[in-house]
Amino acid sequence: MDKALRHRIIGLAFLFAVMLLSIPSFAQPARPAVPTDIIGEWRLENNEDDTTAQPPLGDYTGIPFNDAGRMRSDTTPESIWGTPEYQCRPHSAPHQWRGLGGARILKEQDPLTREASVYHIQFMRSLDRPIFMDGRPHPPAWAPHTWTGFSTGQWIGNTLKITTTHLKDGYLKRGGPQTSDMYSMTEYLTRHGDILSIVTVIDDPIYMEEPYVHSTTYAYDPTSVVNTETCNASAFAENGGTNRHWVPHFLPGQNKAWTEWLKNEPWVPEVAVRGGAKTIYPEYRSTLTGGLNLAALNVPMSKSAFAPNQRVASQSPKDGQVHVMPVQGNIYMLVADGVNITASIGPDGVMLVNTGTAEMSQKVLTTLNELVNNVMASPTPNRCFGTRCPGTWGWSSPYVNAVINSPATPKPIRYIANTSGMAEHIGGNEKLASSGFFPRGGGFGTAVANPGRAASVVAHENVLVRMSTAKPPAPAAAMPTDTFFDELHKMPNFVNGEAVIFYSAPAANTDGDSLVFFRGSEVIAAGNVFSTVSYPVIELDKGGSIQGVIGGLNKILDIAVAEYRSQGGTLVIPGHGRLSDTADVASYRNMMVMIHDRIKDMVDKNMTLAQVKAARPTMDFDGRYGSTTGSWTTDMFIEAAYRSIKEKK
Amino acid sequence: MRSRTLLLVFAATLFATTIATAQRGGGGGAGRGAAPAARQSAPIDLTGYWVSMITEDWKLRMVTPGKGVYDALVLNPAGRKAADSWDPATDEKSGDLCKAYGAPALMRLPTRLRITWENDNTLRIDADTGTQTRLFYFGASAPPAGEPALQGRSVAQWELAAGQRGQPAAGNLKVTTTNLKAGYIRKNGAPYSDKTTVTEYVDLHALPNGDQYISITTRVEDPVYFSRTMTNTTDFKKLPNATGWNPTPCSVR
Repeated sequence: MDKALRHRIIGLAFLFAVMLLSIPSFAQPARPAVPTDIIGEWRLENNEDDTTAQPPLGDYTGIPFNDAGRMRSDTTPESIWGTPEYQCRPHSAPHQWRGLGGARILKEQDPLTREASVYHIQFMRSLDRPIFMDGRPHPPAWAPHTWTGFSTGQWIGNTLKITTTHLKDGYLKRGGPQTSDMYSMTEYLTRHGDILSIVTVIDDPIYMEEPYVHSTTYAYDPTSVVNTETCNASAFAENGGTNRHWVPHFLPGQNKAWTEWLKNEPWVPEVAVRGGAKTIYPEYRSTLTGGLNLAALNVPMSKSAFAPNQRVASQSPKDGQVHVMPVQGNIYMLVADGVNITASIGPDGVMLVNTGTAEMSQKVLTTLNELVNNVMASPTPNRCFGTRCPGTWGWSSPYVNAVINSPATPKPIRYIANTSGMAEHIGGNEKLASSGFFPRGGGFGTAVANPGRAASVVAHENVLVRMSTAKPPAPAAAMPTDTFFDELHKMPNFVNGEAVIFYSAPAANTDGDSLVFFRGSEVIAAGNVFSTVSYPVIELDKGGSIQGVIGGLNKILDIAVAEYRSQGGTLVIPGHGRLSDTADVASYRNMMVMIHDRIKDMVDKNMTLAQVKAARPTMDFDGRYGSTTGSWTTDMFIEAAYRSIKEKK
Repeated sequence: MRSRTLLLVFAATLFATTIATAQRGGGGGAGRGAAPAARQSAPIDLTGYWVSMITEDWKLRMVTPGKGVYDALVLNPAGRKAADSWDPATDEKSGDLCKAYGAPALMRLPTRLRITWENDNTLRIDADTGTQTRLFYFGASAPPAGEPALQGRSVAQWELAAGQRGQPAAGNLKVTTTNLKAGYIRKNGAPYSDKTTVTEYVDLHALPNGDQYISITTRVEDPVYFSRTMTNTTDFKKLPNATGWNPTPCSVR
């Protein structure tokens, strides 16, 4: 071997050795996107905020409550759980990690990539809670809220960040401090060996001065079992179960028991138990020792991540657009510049409940036509093969005919129901009814020219009275063609394969309100009796009253049935706001009863309207439903409630 | 000449390999060559001022609970017996005022923290309550254990998160503290012994409202006074500056 060759071999050997040294690093596979698996059975390490017992009534220590949060919690007793609509509700989302019974985390995988597509978290008193990891967006603001909300997840280093929206109102701690239904929840799950740390951020500016951050710790325990708590639906309401509409609550100032627990924990200063952001910073101690006045105390308070009034309003966007929300069965919800329209679409054609404003009627019609075409006339792939696909009228190339077949033209609007005579719900009647066709009258199946060439408009007779006596009266083509006066009115035939029933809501917003129940689809169009964005508009001069609104809400609750655990099932389309269910209506009804009783108590004490307004009987709900501007303010609502109570008295 | 060329190729390859390996960095395991200093390899920045948010166990942290209140603790009979004999006057008389400010309990007290790098491999945590200082030593920088101390001897390490290449480093801090002097896990005299070990995990979270939080998961193991490991997580919010920093001496009550 010559010297050059030897050098070449040695050199190549060195190169090869260096390459070998490099290979283990370069060849290692990309590290997984999900760093630490969190699936399994977890046991609560109960070394923080002892959760083994019921938190004492009135203990708000550590909670950055504002005045509204305190008032809401002081006036809401735990016995609210005894109402039929709440007796099966699971723990609210903020309390789930602190509830007893452990937690189970499961994982769904993408079958191709085996990436985690969904985590599922389960607790003893909970529904299954999916955490979507596939990057999907959150639903629109007008989508329903649930007890566990809608959650998406994202790994950030070792931490799974979970963002949850669309939550129902509930409580922070079992049976105690309340939340609104506008809060967001962000959780950070980090696994350290066999310990899982969960940091929870509850951002509820309706009831809190700053986001509420706390943490909980779990230990991995494969031997633990997460049971499920069944609900036997026994009636155990405070009144003994004899009045299904009873709403237990305290009048403001009536709950005197909230300091009872201090007898057992005498070292806790009474002044601190009301909570508030200032109380959770270390410098608060200086106020306890008398060194500083609470009002003079400055703390580095944080802000909410969102503006509550915008979040409320986003459920009912006044954006000049028509948004479509599929509901269930035949039913779709159209959000038309903030006003909800219900559409039943099927083989019989279209039935609308309300038509929105006149200004939006063309856009509603355009959107509706597109929707109907999509639902009823979309081409579908041929599923007709071989001998199982004979020609209906004899053999005539059924395979190819099925492919080239053009769907039938969708049927037009047949019926329009009006839940009241309010302009925002009847404004589109003229245009939309005229675009439809209901084969009315005429002999031998032939429709008469007018009004037979338009859709049938159905409403309580007082709607017709209001529309015809208005100045100027509504156009003839907008008027109800079919009216009823009874407390219950059935459509004479099935519509799109289901019964449709009108329930009168006497003296609610007006004297002509009704609810429309689609019995097969399990959907109630509630009209203005129910709103998720404002207090109910009560037109006293048109026969409305707060008692009638409560009656209408109770009627909805009588008809509706929850699917499971006090959520889902019969869905309710409000006049304004998000798609809802029984628990949402119950929450609104409870509020109305509480406000009614507060104002009635003041009326009974001979307080003037000015005194009632000054007493702020709606203070704990104003951040959620109130307004100081616009066509329906909190003052107007209080006045309407006051006058309707006083008149009835 | 040819062999010189080969040698150059070899040297260049070795250099490139070294650079590539260094650029990959992290990985959690011991790399080849000298490890970068803890400050440089920190996956999260913990420095700054932080305030503890007393949103949980308020009644047990913001104010000193009465003697005999052991809620949420894991005392065994010996621990209860020792706690029941607590006499604050005795501590005051002896001048032993800081027994509730030791490493197992300090982070749970209402306090502000100032976190700085003492040097490249030592993270310093000052607490204004009790005017306490903890030092977290990375790698071999920890001094040998001496006399047991209130804050013990804390050895720290970064726990790097697995992640895709090209993503910024992420992870958390793990701290193990031993060599502790006995003290109180709660100000009302609930004890921990000098056999106690504290393991802490520090995570950094960015909240939707722009706040930054550190969450310290603390596991306290005491074979003398505890029936099992005590675990909790304590949350601190980052502050923009030193406003509110208020060093105060230890107090017994």
